[in-house]
Amino acid sequence: MGPVALRKHARTDVHDMDDRIPEIYVLWHPSCRLGETLARRIHAWLRPGNGLGPQVFYRSVAAPDAVAGGKPVRLPCEGGIPSKEKLDIVLLLLDEHLISDQAWRSWITDLAWLPTETRPVLLPIALDPTAFNVPEPLRKLNFLRPTGLPLPPLEDPGSPATEVVVRSLLKQLTEAMCRLLLGRRDPPGASTRKAADADDGTGPKIRIFLSHAKADGTVPAKRIRDYVYSQTQLAAFYDENDIPFGAPFGGVLEGSLQNEWTAALIAVRSALYESRPWCRFEISKFRRPLPVAEKRNKPNPNRAKHWRLSPTLVVDALEGNSRTRGIPELGNAPLIRWSTEVPEQEEQIVTTLLRDALLAAYHVAVGRRIPDEADRIVLSWQPDPTTLLHIPQVRNSKRMLRVAYPGRGMSGLELDILDEVFPHVTFESFESVFA
Amino acid sequence: MTTDRTSRYRSKSSRSDVIGLSISYQREHLLARGFGLEHLRELLIRLARPLLRQRADLAYGGHWGETDDNFTFDLLRLISAEQQDNRFGGPDTALKIGQLYNHCRWPEYLDITPRIEAQWIHCCRIVRISQEMAGIPPADVVPDSEARRGSDHAFFNAAVCLSAMRRLMMNWINLPIPGLASPFSVPPVTARIVLGGKVDGFSGFLPGIFEEALVTLESGRPLYLLGGFGGAAAVLANALLTKGTARPPELTTKWQAANTPNVAKLDKLRTKYKVPPGVRSTSAALDALFAFVKKGRRNLAKTLGTGLDEAQTRELLATQDLSRAVKLVHMGLRTKFSFDELPA
Repeated sequence: MGPVALRKHARTDVHDMDDRIPEIYVLWHPSCRLGETLARRIHAWLRPGNGLGPQVFYRSVAAPDAVAGGKPVRLPCEGGIPSKEKLDIVLLLLDEHLISDQAWRSWITDLAWLPTETRPVLLPIALDPTAFNVPEPLRKLNFLRPTGLPLPPLEDPGSPATEVVVRSLLKQLTEAMCRLLLGRRDPPGASTRKAADADDGTGPKIRIFLSHAKADGTVPAKRIRDYVYSQTQLAAFYDENDIPFGAPFGGVLEGSLQNEWTAALIAVRSALYESRPWCRFEISKFRRPLPVAEKRNKPNPNRAKHWRLSPTLVVDALEGNSRTRGIPELGNAPLIRWSTEVPEQEEQIVTTLLRDALLAAYHVAVGRRIPDEADRIVLSWQPDPTTLLHIPQVRNSKRMLRVAYPGRGMSGLELDILDEVFPHVTFESFESVFA
Repeated sequence: MTTDRTSRYRSKSSRSDVIGLSISYQREHLLARGFGLEHLRELLIRLARPLLRQRADLAYGGHWGETDDNFTFDLLRLISAEQQDNRFGGPDTALKIGQLYNHCRWPEYLDITPRIEAQWIHCCRIVRISQEMAGIPPADVVPDSEARRGSDHAFFNAAVCLSAMRRLMMNWINLPIPGLASPFSVPPVTARIVLGGKVDGFSGFLPGIFEEALVTLESGRPLYLLGGFGGAAAVLANALLTKGTARPPELTTKWQAANTPNVAKLDKLRTKYKVPPGVRSTSAALDALFAFVKKGRRNLAKTLGTGLDEAQTRELLATQDLSRAVKLVHMGLRTKFSFDELPA
């Protein structure tokens, strides 16, 4: 089999984008009742386990060497030296305590006024109506506004009411961070590196591709589409709305699937899905890893060291006793059962998928830090045989090859399966590579 | 070229190393440094899992309550997952992985039911440190039924058992099994990783981290002191990194007595109840620990026996970078115990 042909408008990652590794800092005033609960949930959400996801740190109580009531440990960006490696993303949990505390006001003001080269990305989160009384220039930013606030006094951190707040926050945060990480790419021809906080809102929306069979999969697909357009800051590719009349069907589909702003795909797997050629076309295209470009050179798939795969989520919409066949192209894509009895399921589906997109972007950045070696390639996803077979070096190699993948390590069973299929490959987790 | 399929992701070397984990959650200390319980939990897993794959055993003296700050079940779940993982065929199936030794002193082991023990029997061996094993003469043993009644005698004996447990862990412990000629032998802790820990408000004669560090150093075993995450470990680390002869207040009896009422109480009770051999007073133990601190100030790497060089050892004591801390510990252990290089 020859080199994989790249179509025009193919998704690539131009190397001179801002590929610093994001690190998250959650700031909350020590008297903020919800602060620690929210911070811990953010941590758990962005780091779903097994070493995946960005580091999340906390800033609340005074530093060990500070006076009582003093500032927490300094953020790296306050060191005065621009970092080429790390990008600080600061989540400001703004409640009445922080707003009224002069020491904290001064601190967040200083953060907002840091020089462009060292300034962190600041995401203000309003936990209280007084949050909007932040100092300038934070006031001009669009706040994340979790629903369900304010909570009754003495509300238990584990209560359903708190859970409403948490879910809303995580949803908004995931969208914001996804846009931040996926939107760091300069369009071809751009000559300047984007500043960390230069999301001026003019870029295209992040898009989710909805793959479904018209015969029996439109209900979940339409609900997800409607949710995306009414409840999020995203866009959805839904063929009825997004393939212009008279346009070449396949060409538009492929262009959208390969578009840089299509972050993820939802496959609504109804009974007839697997028998629909266009559905199979969509997932086979999307589940194909793409090489990450170095500098502004067009990537050569036969020699590319870094590969990425955008996430897919399968929505199982089989009804009752219906049956269908397995779809090999889906590999280890996660699956969620569709149920009309689960409230706000669209939110869960979309937010979870977006988080996977965010993690994929993060792992591309981390993967770039792995030293280049002749016998090694680097992935942004946890591999399975289906996706690996698209990579020429893996498929064709007769010599030992090392494949690095995100996280702390796969299970022995998965490694054994891969070992059977690819006996010339040794799989290394990112954690073991950096150890 | 073919791959070596006799072992891919776990070590083939059999070994009898037991790595002790002295880790406890101090919320304020961690939070002041930007961390929470989840960071500590992750650090523990990152430290422990590679050790299990090297087929080392772990020792952790946690209780069996399902509280946030207890890591017994985290370790058990990790070991159980590794064992499950190892069961389905493939090159590593025949290779046993490490298990957990849970040293548990009187009266805490009274809370361990047969069901709990049975549930985790494949992952964990519970080593009960009884009053007798602690050297308490029969006449001074407090009946189990009175263990929780709050008497001075029970309080004193519990503290004695705690100290004894820390001391005994550094040696082979033989556990007789009725009807069997040979006892079950629990191997000694051969290295210890220390992090966090209470500086005050502890049970026992001195902070647990202090005592565990002391017995480790006295046994000549490597001590990996992660001082960047607060707690008693930070106090000890800072003491070692400080130049000069000054003694930190936390390493003085006066400070300990002022900040932990139990210390003065236990000191008084030493005059009332018979003290088994080997059970040091708070004062004697702190003096012994400070002697090591002074030694460590002159030659840190050699005193702690980390297997790292001086600069790396200093870094280990101070770093607040989780990844760096894990890396340094594993580097040191690899040097000391000839661990294999493993992928995955």
